[in-house]
Amino acid sequence: MAANQDNTRPQNTRSIMVFLQAHAPFSSMDDDHLAHFAEHSTLRFYADGDVVLSPDDGIVRRFYVVKQGRIRGERLNQKADKTETTFEISLGECFPLAAIVGERSTRTLHRAAGDTFCLSIEQDAFVTLFAESESFRDFCMRGVSSLLDQVNQRIQSGAMASMGSSTSLSTPLERYALRNPIVCSPDLPVRKAVARMHQNSVGSIVITDDSRHPTGIFTLRDLRTMIAEDTCTLDAPVRQIMTKDPCCLPAQADAFEAAMLMAEHHFAHLCVVDDEKRLIGMVSERDLFSLQRVDLVHLARTISTATHLRTLVSLRADVSRLVDAMLAHGADSGQVVKIITTLNDVTVRRVLELNIKKNNPGVPFTWLTFGSEGRQEQTLLTDQDNGILFKTPEGMTEDQVRERLLPFAKTVNDELAECGFTLCKGNIMASNPKLCLSDREWDDWFIRFIDASTPQNLVYSSIFLDMRSVFGPTDSLHELFEKVLTRIRKNELFQKMLAGNAFQRKPPLTMFRNFRYVSDGKKNSLDLKRQGLAPFVESVRVFALANGIERANTLERMDELVQKGIFDDKDANAWKDAYSLIQAIRMRSHQEMLNNGEELTNYINPDDLNPLDRRILRESFRQAQRLQQKLEITYQL
Amino acid sequence: MLEQLRQWIKRRRSGLVSNMPPENLPNPKSPGDQLLSDCRLIVLDLETTGLHPNKDEVIAVGAVAITGGVIDLSDQFDLVLRRPELDITETVLIHGIGTEALTHGHETEDALLFLLEWMNGDPVLAYHSAFDQKFLEKTLKAQLGYTRSHTWMDVADLLPALIPDASTGGKGLDHWADFYGLEVSARHHAASDALATAELTLIALNKARKNGLKTLRELNDKLRYHRRLKNIHRM
Repeated sequence: MAANQDNTRPQNTRSIMVFLQAHAPFSSMDDDHLAHFAEHSTLRFYADGDVVLSPDDGIVRRFYVVKQGRIRGERLNQKADKTETTFEISLGECFPLAAIVGERSTRTLHRAAGDTFCLSIEQDAFVTLFAESESFRDFCMRGVSSLLDQVNQRIQSGAMASMGSSTSLSTPLERYALRNPIVCSPDLPVRKAVARMHQNSVGSIVITDDSRHPTGIFTLRDLRTMIAEDTCTLDAPVRQIMTKDPCCLPAQADAFEAAMLMAEHHFAHLCVVDDEKRLIGMVSERDLFSLQRVDLVHLARTISTATHLRTLVSLRADVSRLVDAMLAHGADSGQVVKIITTLNDVTVRRVLELNIKKNNPGVPFTWLTFGSEGRQEQTLLTDQDNGILFKTPEGMTEDQVRERLLPFAKTVNDELAECGFTLCKGNIMASNPKLCLSDREWDDWFIRFIDASTPQNLVYSSIFLDMRSVFGPTDSLHELFEKVLTRIRKNELFQKMLAGNAFQRKPPLTMFRNFRYVSDGKKNSLDLKRQGLAPFVESVRVFALANGIERANTLERMDELVQKGIFDDKDANAWKDAYSLIQAIRMRSHQEMLNNGEELTNYINPDDLNPLDRRILRESFRQAQRLQQKLEITYQL
Repeated sequence: MLEQLRQWIKRRRSGLVSNMPPENLPNPKSPGDQLLSDCRLIVLDLETTGLHPNKDEVIAVGAVAITGGVIDLSDQFDLVLRRPELDITETVLIHGIGTEALTHGHETEDALLFLLEWMNGDPVLAYHSAFDQKFLEKTLKAQLGYTRSHTWMDVADLLPALIPDASTGGKGLDHWADFYGLEVSARHHAASDALATAELTLIALNKARKNGLKTLRELNDKLRYHRRLKNIHRM
């Protein structure tokens, strides 16, 4: 009817639509849906400090968009008996998401920060939009999950399963269609056991005792080895040839744990047991990954049996493809970094094994990794940070041991470099005589490190205090680390200096909640590692070391800090999510750089992100600020 | 609003409200004990061909309603009475309704009757309301012979009365809009100015609530007191 579609709507409706269009998710919504929003909205004013939405209001019945001004979320910190700002919502942003989707009251007090106007729609208009606009629905669901709502994460993983594209790795094993295991007693002759496997067309049989506890497993692969190597006859009882004490997981464990265990030990099968350790099913690698084509176990096995360095080098491309596939299938960043670390560990071990075969130094040693590898937080962009710990054998001096180990370590460092682990510019490598030490020398080294808190030592703290063994005996490292932890716990000055150092790394937000860009000339870029992740890693390290936590992984450290009552679990969840989200954005950008054949860096331009990711990033940085505030209060910085 | 207007025109055409005598229109309400927290206020702005009520004409009427202290965007009025000098026939363009939908020759009358019905006798607020009041009263009288007087309140007085310490640098709508950083989508478009005025009214009502003003009468008294003070200063 009207020549100009626009003229059919009143001026004020049109102007609200124009306003909405400048912001996510409205920018990707149809005009009709925007008009529905505009025509059903009310415009409300809140003076500075007015309460907009409170936990006492009961179930949330309206949905708001900030038209002008700002809203801040407040939560009472019972310990400090004061309120803390938990988030800020600025122009064009929506709230509340989790509460209105979950049909519950808000958990956070929403207060106007400065004079503020909000557009608001009632629940029924919200429901209409939610039902009719796909982009609006996606936004609400994603927004909720990124704002840490557990319930919604379930919905998401459920949605993924129903799409049939993949199975989420956080699904508990009991949800998998567990195969009914084929079992036999330990005394059954091998011949009969194989016949039973054949009848049921399965590749493995579990040997159980009278109360159904699994005591061993026998697979077709074992049969092949047995016949080829003639180790046993077909009439011998199966217990002679079975693999004893098969790997078991409780039914509540998730698919990710199963996959990790399989990748580490190169099993293709795992027993699933109930609380009393009785066998209830089997889960195979194929069950976990049949739909995903993410062949983690196979890849780990290929790496660990590679006979030449060049095979290892070529397998690195597969690692990258695997990461790609996992990110595409929605694995979370915590899982992906752990998988990368596991595959890296397997590679390091294999390089060490191949070199021992070729040229055995003849002294037992423990291969240590530091820094991000120590924390199990490696991405595709990774440096070597390693060292050697040895026990001096009788009749040898430490220098004599070093004479043997150092050339060996040099070859290993060079070969790892060929595999894509960049040589460490700071020479933090096992081939450095200062880092190839006996247990006694390491202990002295740490005493000096902790007592003489020089600035250089503080820089090193991010490397050497995140330590783990990858190869060789672990008990000497455990002993060493216990001593180190005790010393740190007793040395409050050192803790305070660590805290002060961690406090230096400010998240990249300006006072006005914009991004603060790196100052070294790169325009509009953020360093996700140094500016984004480091504030979390460093602050959490201080708390972990001060409280005797031996783990190096940042997420696991936070879990233990919650268990010890140092962190509030809501706070810790927010921090873990924020940390993981920054990591996820970093890894996605690595994959993109890799696909474009660019050199990997940790820089991103936030303008290249979609508005939602930008908001997530900003919110995550704010969480880092909160964590630093805790550090500030605890150590009175 | 469009749907309401369509319905109304349909009813009027089918004779249900035909030739509605002015006395059947809603009665103008006076400022009494209506609570500010739930009463309805009309915020209105007119666009005219000039500044002189005697010779200039109304081009457009834009209005929004504030109910219970919030602007309800489903309750608004946006009407253009387009009267180009060279065009002899008076034509009305209402958004969403072509001129053919209106009874030929009665467009302006129909639209003004609908405005009165929509206003429902509720108090009318405008920025420098004396101007809008004169134009609207003149137009209503000329077109409909309607002469009842409505309650008018001037937002230009309301703001300084309640927010005396604001250093706006001037008394105009633009000064206040700038002071509060309001974005006016299309300045001098009647509907858009009405919305900006309504937004300022929300700010004033928020302040009124904090000053303990509860009813329309209390608000009106405050306004009169402010005007008296202003006149004393002038003398």
